[in-house]
Amino acid sequence: MAKGVLVDIPKCIGCESCSVACKLWNELEWDEQEKCKTAADRAKEPNNGLWPEEWTSINRFDLEKDGESVARYVKAQCMHCEDPACVSSCFSKAFQKLPEGPVIYDQSLCVGCRYCMMACPFDILRYEWKKAIPGVRKCQMCATRVANNQETACTSVCPTGAITFGDREELLAEAKKRIKEHGYVDRVFGEKEAGGTSWLYISDTPFEQMRFRTDVTTKPLPSYTEGYMKATPFVGVGWAAILAGLYVYNNKGKEPLD
Amino acid sequence: MASKAGQVKNLSRRSFLKFVGGTAGLVGISLNLTGCGDPATADEAIGGNGWMPTQYNAPGNWPTSVRGRVPIDPENPAIVRDDQKCILCGQCIEVCERIQSVFGNYELPIKKEFVCVNCGQCIQWCPSGAISERDDVNKVFKALADPNVTVVVQTAPATRIGLGEEFGMPVGTNVQGKQVAALRKLGFDVVFDTNFTADLTIMEEGTELVKRVTGELHHPIPQMTSCCPGWVKFVEYFYPELIPNLSSAKSPQQMEGALIKTYFAEKKEVDPKKIFSVSIMPCTAKKFECQRPEMNSASKELNDSNVSPDVDVVLTTRELARMIKRAGIDFASLPEEEYDKLMGTGTGAGVIFGTTGGVMEAAVRSAYFLITGQQPPAALWNLTPVRGMQGVKEAAVNIPGVGDVKVAVISGLANARKVMDQMKAGNAPWAFMEIMACPGGCEYGGGQPRASSPPSDEDRNRRAASLYNIDAKSKLRNSHDNPEIKQIYADFLTAPMSEKAEELLHTHYVSRADDFIPKKSEENKLF
Ligand code: SF4
Ligand code: SF4
Ligand code: SF4
Ligand code: SF4
Repeated sequence: MAKGVLVDIPKCIGCESCSVACKLWNELEWDEQEKCKTAADRAKEPNNGLWPEEWTSINRFDLEKDGESVARYVKAQCMHCEDPACVSSCFSKAFQKLPEGPVIYDQSLCVGCRYCMMACPFDILRYEWKKAIPGVRKCQMCATRVANNQETACTSVCPTGAITFGDREELLAEAKKRIKEHGYVDRVFGEKEAGGTSWLYISDTPFEQMRFRTDVTTKPLPSYTEGYMKATPFVGVGWAAILAGLYVYNNKGKEPLD
Repeated sequence: MASKAGQVKNLSRRSFLKFVGGTAGLVGISLNLTGCGDPATADEAIGGNGWMPTQYNAPGNWPTSVRGRVPIDPENPAIVRDDQKCILCGQCIEVCERIQSVFGNYELPIKKEFVCVNCGQCIQWCPSGAISERDDVNKVFKALADPNVTVVVQTAPATRIGLGEEFGMPVGTNVQGKQVAALRKLGFDVVFDTNFTADLTIMEEGTELVKRVTGELHHPIPQMTSCCPGWVKFVEYFYPELIPNLSSAKSPQQMEGALIKTYFAEKKEVDPKKIFSVSIMPCTAKKFECQRPEMNSASKELNDSNVSPDVDVVLTTRELARMIKRAGIDFASLPEEEYDKLMGTGTGAGVIFGTTGGVMEAAVRSAYFLITGQQPPAALWNLTPVRGMQGVKEAAVNIPGVGDVKVAVISGLANARKVMDQMKAGNAPWAFMEIMACPGGCEYGGGQPRASSPPSDEDRNRRAASLYNIDAKSKLRNSHDNPEIKQIYADFLTAPMSEKAEELLHTHYVSRADDFIPKKSEENKLF
C-alpha cells in the first residue's frame, strides 16, 4: 500500500529533530552558514531553507490567530506527488515514483538538463551548482527504509507526533478526523494538490499565511508538462545528447559516480 | 564491490540506482535515452537480486537509538545547541521532562515561546556536548581590555568547588583562593564574593519571613525561597497563583549587582556608568535572570538611564575555565588570594547556599537569632535532616517562644511540582521552603563543569561535602555575624527591608501563564 506522512502543523514544537535525522540518515553535509540560520530566517528565504544538503527544513511563521500572535513551525521537503511532474519532465528517467510512495532520483541517469526543476510545482529541487559533477537533490522519502517496512528517518525521531508515517489512505482519514476534532482549517493540503501527494498537511492557521502554494492546480501536473515537453522535443533531445557527451568527458578515467 | 558503508554513501549522496544495480551510470543513460531501461523497483532496490539487505545498511553515523530532542529557542539567553553534534539520543528530553517536569508539560500548539526555565540540566545530560551555555566570554574580554571601565566580578558559592575539575583536580576540590588569583590575573579590577550577598539575602529573607509569621506583612505562608532563577521562572510559568508565596528578596547575584553599582560606586567614588559587572555562576539560568527588566535597580535608584543593568554579564564556571585557559594561565600553580574588602566577606552560612538545603540551614541559624535575640545552638550548625541528595526533605526546628517551625527543602523541579500540587490542594504545613531547580542545588547547576560520567549523586555529594567542609572550618558561621553585613546596614541600607533595601534588594515577579497552555491532564505527559 502506498505510504505517506501526515504533518500536523500545530503539533510541531520546532525542535528540528527531523532535519537533524535527515542529515544523519542521508549523510548530508553540514554547512556553517545554513547551520546558523533560524527557523524564522528560513521562512523568509525564497527557497524555504531547502538546499542541496538540506533536504528538509523547519520554517517558523509568526501569525495572528484569534487576535493573539502565535508561532507555527512548518516542515518543508519534497511532497512526493502521486503523479510527479519531475518524473514526467525527465526524459532520461532519472526520477521515478515508487509504488510505496517515494519519488526518487538517480544521479547516474541524470543528464543535468534541469527540466525537473522547472516542472516541480512546489519548487523543491535543488541543483548542486558548486559541484564538479552536479546533480539534483531532494528528499527521497527514505526509500530504502520505507521498502524495508521502516518509517522515514524524520518521523522516527519526532518527539511530539507532529509528523506521522503510515498508509496514505489511513493518514488521510486520520487527517480529516483531526480537522473535525480540533477545528482545523478544512483542507488536507496534499489530498488533491498537484493531483495528490504522499505528504499531507493539516493546520489550524491558513495555509496561505505559511507560504504553501495554495494556488497549485489540483489536476495532475504531468498533463501540462508533457504538453510543454512535446512542444520542444528537438531541443530536449539535443540538450540531452550534449549533456550526456559532457558527462562522459567529465568522468573519463574515474570510477563512475564516485 | 564497495564496502557496506561505501554503498550507502553512494546511495544517499549520489545514486539510488547504483546501489540497486551497481551498473555504471552510462549504460543506464543510453538505455533510457532509447526508452528501453527498466526503472528499478523498490524491492529490487532493497535486498533482492543478491544485494545486501538494507537493514544492515544504516549509514555509519545513524545512531543506534534515536528519540528526538527538546526545542531550544535561538533567542534563549542561557543555552544554545550545535545541531551538528546532536545524535538525537533524547537525553535532554529525559531530563527536561522527567527530572525538571518542563518539556511536555504544556499543550500544543505552543503559543509564544518554548517553555524553558534555562536551568541547563540538559547540558549536563547531553552526551555529545551539543547543548552548551550561550558563550559570553568575548563580551568580558572586551570590557577587560577597555581602560576606562572598572570591571567588577563576583563569584557564586558553588564555583569554588567546581572550577578545579576543569583543571584536572578531584571532584569537589576547593579552589577559592586560586579562583580569586586567576580573576585578578585576567584583569578584573575588583573581586567580590557572592557569599556576602548570600548572607545579606538571609537577613532580608529572614526578616521577611518573621514579618509574614507575625502578620506584619500580609503575604501568605509558607514563604518560598527566590534565589534560584530557574525555580522562580518555573513558578511564573506553572504556578502563578503561588507567586505571593515567593520571597520578594532578590537572589544573591542580583543583590550584589545592584550594590556594586550603588554602594561600591559611592564608597570608592567610581562612576557607576563606567562599571561593568560580571558574575561567575554555576548556573545558566543566571544569564536569563540578569536580563530580566526588573534587574535594573541601580539605574532606577540613581535615576540615570545610562547605567547598565545591575549585572552586565554572567559567565558559567565552564566559561571562566575557558578564559583562564585562553589566557594561558597555569591554574594549578596560582597562589591563594583573598577577595577584596567591602563585599568580599562571606560566612559559612553563605557558602552552603551552593548546595540543596544550604539556604535553609543558613536561614534557620539567623531566624533563631532574629526571633530570640540569642545565638543559635551548635545543633543548628549541622542540620542533618536538610542535608543530602533526597529530592524532598523536611525538618522541624524548635525555636524558643515560637515552638516547632516546620520547613521543607526541595531540589529538582519534578519534585517541586509534586509539592506545589500538594500546596495548591491546601496541604502545606511548612513555614519556609527552600527550592532549587537543579537536583542537588547549584553545585550541580547547569553551568558547572561537565563530569566525564553522567550526573550522579556521588559527585553531587562530594561537591556538597566540600561546601559543608568550608562552612565547618569558617570562623563565622552565621550570616548575621558577618562584619561587612553589619557595616552595610550601618553605612548604607539602615536596616533589613528599609526603604532603600526594598528598592535595591527586593523585586517582584510576573505571571508567564499567557505564554503557553499548561498540560491539562497528568497522564500522557509525552504529548
Ligand atoms: S523522508 Fe527521509 S529524506 Fe525525506 S525529509 Fe524525511 S528523513 Fe529526509
Ligand atoms: S521533529 Fe517533529 S516537532 Fe520537532 S521540528 Fe520536526 S516535525 Fe516539528
Ligand atoms: S541530549 Fe544532546 S545529543 Fe542527545 S538529543 Fe539532546 S541535544 Fe541531541
Ligand atoms: S534548560 Fe532546563 S528547562 Fe530548558 S530545555 Fe534544558 S532542561 Fe529543559
